[in-house]
Amino acid sequence: MRKSFVAVGVALAVVLAFSPFGWSAEQTIKVGINAPITGDIPKVGEGTKFAAQMWLEDVMAAGGLEVGGKKYPVELVIEDNEAKAESAVTANTKMITQDEVLVIVGPQSSKQAIPAGDVANNYATPMITPWSTNPDATKDRPFVFRGCFLDPFQGPVLANFITEEFGFTKAAVLYDVASDYPKGLAEFFKEAWEKVHGPGSVVAFESFTTKDADFSSQLTKIIQSGAEVLFTPQYYNEVALIVQQAHELGWDKPIVGSDSWGSAETVELCGKDCYGLFFSTHYAAAGATGATKEFIDRYQQKYGYVPDDVAALTWDSLGIVQTAIQSLDQLSGDLEKDRKAVRDAMAQVKEFDGITGKMTFTEEGDPIKCAVIVKISDKGEYTFYKSVCP
Amino acid sequence: MNTDSGNLPAAAGSPRKPWRRAFARVPLLAWLCGGLAAVVLEHFFGPQLAELLGLPKVPVLFGFLTILGKPPLIPSTAVFITLIYGLPLLLVSRLLAGPANRLAAFLLQGPLAVSVLIHLALFYGTLHLWSDLSAYRVLTLKLTLIAVMLTLSLNVINGYMGEFSCSHPAFMALGAYAASVMTLVFFAKDKQFGEALLPAALGPFMFPLVLIAAGAVAAVGALVIAVPSFRTRGDYLAIISLAFMFIVKSMIENLEWIGGPRGLSSQPNYANLPTVFLWAAACIWIINNFVRSTLGKALNAVRDDEIAADAMTVDTRRTKMVAFLFGAFWAGVAGGLFAHVLRYVNPGSFGLQKLAEVLAMVYFGGLNSVYGSIVGAVSLSLLGEALRPLELFKWIIIPLMLILVMIFRPTGLIAFREFDVRKLVQPKLNPDREV
Repeated sequence: MRKSFVAVGVALAVVLAFSPFGWSAEQTIKVGINAPITGDIPKVGEGTKFAAQMWLEDVMAAGGLEVGGKKYPVELVIEDNEAKAESAVTANTKMITQDEVLVIVGPQSSKQAIPAGDVANNYATPMITPWSTNPDATKDRPFVFRGCFLDPFQGPVLANFITEEFGFTKAAVLYDVASDYPKGLAEFFKEAWEKVHGPGSVVAFESFTTKDADFSSQLTKIIQSGAEVLFTPQYYNEVALIVQQAHELGWDKPIVGSDSWGSAETVELCGKDCYGLFFSTHYAAAGATGATKEFIDRYQQKYGYVPDDVAALTWDSLGIVQTAIQSLDQLSGDLEKDRKAVRDAMAQVKEFDGITGKMTFTEEGDPIKCAVIVKISDKGEYTFYKSVCP
Repeated sequence: MNTDSGNLPAAAGSPRKPWRRAFARVPLLAWLCGGLAAVVLEHFFGPQLAELLGLPKVPVLFGFLTILGKPPLIPSTAVFITLIYGLPLLLVSRLLAGPANRLAAFLLQGPLAVSVLIHLALFYGTLHLWSDLSAYRVLTLKLTLIAVMLTLSLNVINGYMGEFSCSHPAFMALGAYAASVMTLVFFAKDKQFGEALLPAALGPFMFPLVLIAAGAVAAVGALVIAVPSFRTRGDYLAIISLAFMFIVKSMIENLEWIGGPRGLSSQPNYANLPTVFLWAAACIWIINNFVRSTLGKALNAVRDDEIAADAMTVDTRRTKMVAFLFGAFWAGVAGGLFAHVLRYVNPGSFGLQKLAEVLAMVYFGGLNSVYGSIVGAVSLSLLGEALRPLELFKWIIIPLMLILVMIFRPTGLIAFREFDVRKLVQPKLNPDREV
């Protein structure tokens, strides 16, 4: 019985050794996508995946990526990181050592991008995180890049915008103390605001904890503090609650937000209360022109909704990767060398014309790019209001 | 292991019978040799064979990822697995059964520890060679071993003592943060704590002490749960321990000096495979001894009937205290290792999701059983990795399996089974007489 097993095994081995796909030695460029397809933020993973698939379609329609006059087919390796740090690390390790990807796009949130960036850097594989705004993700990691601006940039942008636009001097901040993004941004905003208007000009600096739903005590304090504007860098589910409750308590002054407002869900949940408010973000979907409009229309037609900033930033990150790869003279086939070459080419990218703005990378791998101020229109659309550059 | 082979009624014509008979006398030692032979074979001929079969690389987790990711490669993967793992494992272990039995018997004449160490060394050698081929295997292995430690430590409280405790992620977080802070302060330059206080070369040697201290921190935290457990049981204790988990999580989120919600990163790279393996082995050995000791039996007494146990002179308070502190200690050690494997910790990692994972491993594997915990942790971690290409469906298949196990084996796969090291390593000379 055992003999027959061996015989079958050997026969199969021989057949397969001469079968056609035993010899498919054509070199393909593999691009890894590390996305939260399941877990807490599946919408982010979905946007990432869809943008990547659209990009792949374009590339394949063009016959692949052209490097040094030769076209290479491209393959996407999409890995789910379940929105968990350890899973993002395993996904990156797998893609780098097992699937032998040339470059990785993702993970999106800082919580996954920081540990995963460590892996990419240790294995000398270029990685670009489209959405992570925490400085630690790229800090001291020559192989890690990012596709968006950082919190230390966004804070001052908003502080300056409010000062110039409304001429206010007293601001209030309401933020989630247990979540790294809102907390960081709140602190950067406070710092920038007090630099312009002097210490104590942030008259109320109120916090709450993730999953809180009642903000009336904080909002009452804010209203009593005499603030002229409320800044709240929260995610869409909290924005709706905060804005509605503030209006119920009699707040009628402007409320300003950050790029975390940029989800399609914000207006859906918030309704008319959010009309007329401002926030800073990476791009504005309504009234977009040129390549940005083209991307939005295509995405909407294909997947049925307006892409949010994650999709747009992923698209741009893939564009940067593509530019870097195509700027090489050749692919040597030696993965280590090629990865190094791609990394160097990415660091050299200047004035990349993406749909979220022009980008040039700093020494740290962070892009210098403009922020967009969006006004929520009377129809609930995100309209371009102003562009603020560093 | 093979208790029933000789006593089965002769199932006439059953094809499995001769196979069972042939392998009934194979001792653990021979199986380990077979495993070693398989990984040696893979080490030297795996890449060539994979290339010959048209596989992009050596299949990483016994072919699961390849099969699910690229169905056309199923035949070549199957051939690879059979040639590299299946046949050598079966052949070598069968051929070596005789000598291995004699060797195992000879080893048992000396102290048990010698025999166990030789088995462990063989096992480690197998794992090491297996993981040598890819960094992904190393990482999966490390995380699996850590999951085993966590599951075991939770089983002490939930399985052996029968208290439904939900604070395990908190113990793990305490350990992870304590260990990270210690290594960062003492042995690594870091933006949070500045220059290292001690020379970095000392780090790897002091790491065991750091882990013990991390476990101790977690154990101190467990006092907060142990004391209320004197008065509350069942659901009430579950609520208290759940609350404790949230308290620890939000405490860490609000402590700015350990990174707050941003987490701590750049822990030194101390948790290599031998370190994690040794700690996991020590954890299994110590917990197994603990639950088989008098105090361990007292845990069962408390679980079954606290009042009766009290009447029978069991000091229930002390028992509960020790169980909580002991379980938390190992969770803390596992947390410390976890932090140094990932080299990044964030309070978000120690929330409800982690709790669900560990609880699933405990209840899937089986309550009140060291075997069960190992099986539960290993199978769920490996399954989680192996089903990775299925993305969303993974979260349908794994819960479905859990449900099925809970329906057909309500106490878990291998519950209430004792883990006897001597039985495990002894020769299988006469399986028919064994009960």
